[in-house]
Amino acid sequence: MADLISLKEIKRHYDVGGELVRALDGIDLTINHNEYISIMGPSGSGKSTLMNMIGCLDTPTEGVYEFEGELVHEMDDNQLASIRNRKIGFVFQTFNLLPKATALRNVEVPLIYANMAKNDRIEKAKKALIAVGLEERMHHKPNELSGGQRQRVAIARALVNDPSIILADEPTGNLDSKSGIEIMKILDKLHHAGNTIILVTHEEYIAEHADRTINLFDGKIKEDRQTKKRKRVVT
Amino acid sequence: MISLFWENLRISLGSIFGNKSRSILTALGIVIGVLSVTLMGTLISGLDRTFEKSMSFLARDVLIISRMDWFGGDMDWWELRNRPRIKEDYVEQLREKSQFVAAVAPMAERGGSIIRGDKRIDTRFFGTTPEYMATNESADVITGRYFTDGENRSGARVMVIGGDVADALFPDEDPIDKYVKIGSHKFRVVGILKKQGKFMGMFSLDNQAVLPFGTYQRLFSRRGWMNVRVKVNTDNYDEAKEEIYGVMRQLRGLKPLEKDDFAINQSATMEAQYKAIKLAIGGTGLFITALSLIVGGIGIMNIMFVSVKERTKEIGVRKALGATQSMILGQFLMEAVLICLIAGLVGMGLAGGLSLLINQFFPSSMPVGLAIGSIILSVVIGIVSGLVPSYQAARLDPIDALRYE
Repeated sequence: MADLISLKEIKRHYDVGGELVRALDGIDLTINHNEYISIMGPSGSGKSTLMNMIGCLDTPTEGVYEFEGELVHEMDDNQLASIRNRKIGFVFQTFNLLPKATALRNVEVPLIYANMAKNDRIEKAKKALIAVGLEERMHHKPNELSGGQRQRVAIARALVNDPSIILADEPTGNLDSKSGIEIMKILDKLHHAGNTIILVTHEEYIAEHADRTINLFDGKIKEDRQTKKRKRVVT
Repeated sequence: MISLFWENLRISLGSIFGNKSRSILTALGIVIGVLSVTLMGTLISGLDRTFEKSMSFLARDVLIISRMDWFGGDMDWWELRNRPRIKEDYVEQLREKSQFVAAVAPMAERGGSIIRGDKRIDTRFFGTTPEYMATNESADVITGRYFTDGENRSGARVMVIGGDVADALFPDEDPIDKYVKIGSHKFRVVGILKKQGKFMGMFSLDNQAVLPFGTYQRLFSRRGWMNVRVKVNTDNYDEAKEEIYGVMRQLRGLKPLEKDDFAINQSATMEAQYKAIKLAIGGTGLFITALSLIVGGIGIMNIMFVSVKERTKEIGVRKALGATQSMILGQFLMEAVLICLIAGLVGMGLAGGLSLLINQFFPSSMPVGLAIGSIILSVVIGIVSGLVPSYQAARLDPIDALRYE
């Protein structure tokens, strides 16, 4: 029994022009607190679908998804929004910051949806920005920040609600190697501080930061190996 | 919820002021709609109040017997033109033959100038009897006196003048017992009438002079208008009118099948006519303004669809960060309502300013209810036209929205 996430026989099928696409085709996966996982696989292997599924942006066609004891596969849109707000922090490849808002404002957004009072909100958002080393850039808008800084704002935004899990989809994909290393350092640090992190990546050297790597192929888990402690293979 | 409200307000303002020219163009439809609706309402209400006020000089219990109908009638002009004039002896005969007459007075009328030294005023003067005062409740002498029966019979050269005439000819002196001239005839001013204001804001009821009927007949040609004013002694105006109508046909010597060659007018005729005009103006105005508001609403809806499309990615991000459907709905709905509200306020402000300007020529002032109503209306338009695009935004799938480029 997983203490964080449990996926049982998860299937996600799409009907594309009359053809059935099996994006996820029977995924069994358990994730525990403070794990550091990378999800890898070729294009079309179902990485993004799995990420969306774990991130409660999507619900399975079949199967059971439990998140800290809550049955996600039975949730309606509002319940999904609520669990995303409270328990999940997203870091996207393209940062996805609100272009007209300052860094501070961007980080505040999840707290606004959590209905937090203004002063507490600002306080918390500032702390999160300080945690990613952006205390000097709080009042800058995204177009006044470098790529690495933008991604750090996104990480601060993902962190600010103290989520159970941070989902990072190709977090270094749009960054130069130096900024990429910086971002990975921050994620490593967050993991050391007790956070659960799931990375989706193409890059082997990024995946190496994780303790556990899951390889997907054609919507199925081809390999699930413990890279730093123990190794485990699933068909 | 409060922090969400401010956030939505902030986003909406940011979006509206971030796309200034687009917002202005979008809002223009609503501005024009609200402007025309408010202006129309203001004018009608101005018209109404003026009408009420002006009608007071035409009491409901007064019938005015003339050659012509005040309004309409289905006769050709040449027939009307050939109608015989109203004669002064109808006055006595009506008094004698009708049981409903409380007071009756002839009213001969013509235009002309009254001169005092180097001052002159173009006015209308009436020849009537002292009984006129009993047929017109709003006519009252405030300074001096009215002329007497004796003066009337003897054709005395006395005159009661309206307030405008007194102001024009006697700016710095008391007109009583002073002399004025109509052509070569000299008159002594014996009284001044109480001011009545303008009729429908168009012509002044105070620009007039009243002479004894006898004097009028002697000095001026018998041409010009001639009416007979009858004040009835009953509340049953229709019965009184019916009887007087019969008496008049008899006096005119009309055979049963002959058409009327006179008209009995009363304020009700004018009121009915006024109501018809008001309905026509109001109905047309409402139709046009409703159209412009609908067009304005469509404009808002269109721009909201564009806004939703443009911000699809943002909607996806917000949903990923925990925004529920109702939060997204609220965000876009607030934007639509805000544009409409601002447009409504601008439209109302313009209407207020214009009504002040129009007030220089025609009485009009914006009623408070109308101002509040137009603001509520703009909010309603905002909600109605923003609802479908906002709903579309709220229903977006977060994954599709995040992928949207």
